[in-house]
Amino acid sequence: MRGVLGGVVLLCCLPALAQEGASAPAPSSTPQTVTVTSTRDPVDKSYRKMIRGMERFEREHALAPQATLRFRLLPRLPTVNMRGITLKVVGDHVTLPVPVSDDNGFMLPRNEQALREDAAVIANRKTTSMTWRAQVVTPGLPPNTRRLGDLRLECLVGVEAGLVSNSSPLFGWIANALNSPEQVCGSPDGNFLFFAERPLFSVTLRAGARSEILPFRMLYAGGEQTRDMLPYCDCQVMLDRTYYAPIWDRSWPDDTLVSIETMDEAPAEATP
Amino acid sequence: MKLVSLFVAGLLLAGCAAQTPQPGTVVAADRFTQLIVPGRTTRAELQAAFGDTKSVTFDSGYEARVYAAAAGGGRSEELVVLLDREGIVRKLRRRPAYPTDPQR
Repeated sequence: MRGVLGGVVLLCCLPALAQEGASAPAPSSTPQTVTVTSTRDPVDKSYRKMIRGMERFEREHALAPQATLRFRLLPRLPTVNMRGITLKVVGDHVTLPVPVSDDNGFMLPRNEQALREDAAVIANRKTTSMTWRAQVVTPGLPPNTRRLGDLRLECLVGVEAGLVSNSSPLFGWIANALNSPEQVCGSPDGNFLFFAERPLFSVTLRAGARSEILPFRMLYAGGEQTRDMLPYCDCQVMLDRTYYAPIWDRSWPDDTLVSIETMDEAPAEATP
Repeated sequence: MKLVSLFVAGLLLAGCAAQTPQPGTVVAADRFTQLIVPGRTTRAELQAAFGDTKSVTFDSGYEARVYAAAAGGGRSEELVVLLDREGIVRKLRRRPAYPTDPQR
């Protein structure tokens, strides 16, 4: 299914197919046309993989027992218009509309036919113009606060669902083949990026009496991204919202609170 | 074969000698927090007093800069400033060294 060209496909180069069967009409000098109802692209998100991500969420729900899962679309290119996005699941013979909320969140319906047909999840924007993420949120947390177990589950689901695209187009498939959810989410070198809702200045972990501010190297994609590198990072236009969380470090329990101080909060005094 | 062994030994020694780089230019923490006043200090003043360091500039025009201060035990404290698009220090924060930090 993948890689089918969109629009109208001319079949004049396939005479063998046109002559198949005794009752087939004689070849005509007029080119035959077939109308393809949707456009598929190799970078489209796989419905099967996203469903596998949802199944992963169910299996690992203990990381975030009160949380719910949905997916979220975020801007990746500076030019992308994030308003009015529509989404659908498209297979060979099935099309399912997917409602998108005002904050570009959505949940996928489970559909056996779409699974069989290896359907794609397609937006009315170029797939690579957006960053796709799983969002796992425990209700009732204070503003600008996340829970570490939620982030752990976001990583596992996001990688399982094939949402992350942080590599160059040439080597991306190799990197993906080598990076299982366990490898990415269980290692300090996994480099799984999280995005705050607004530009951030500081991130603090709190678990019981223990409290630590994340080092600078865990903010802004490590602070190492050059202009040339940014197009290969799905943090491209969200660098100031980007952070790593120590999801691999089990000395921080799942109930650890991750507090985010944003750039636009009132200026704070220096904290010793 | 001897050359290869020497080369490998050299690499190993170099690895042992290598240290984790400082997060930014090393400064005196007290002087830094006395001189840098959010809402008042300019980029030029920051630059004149403490020089270049590791920084990240964002599409918004804001810039985050990080400096380091010795904290004892081979560890260092971080001092982070946020400059707004007018080049005024908007925020300043200190991150102390934690026991779990790698030693330098």
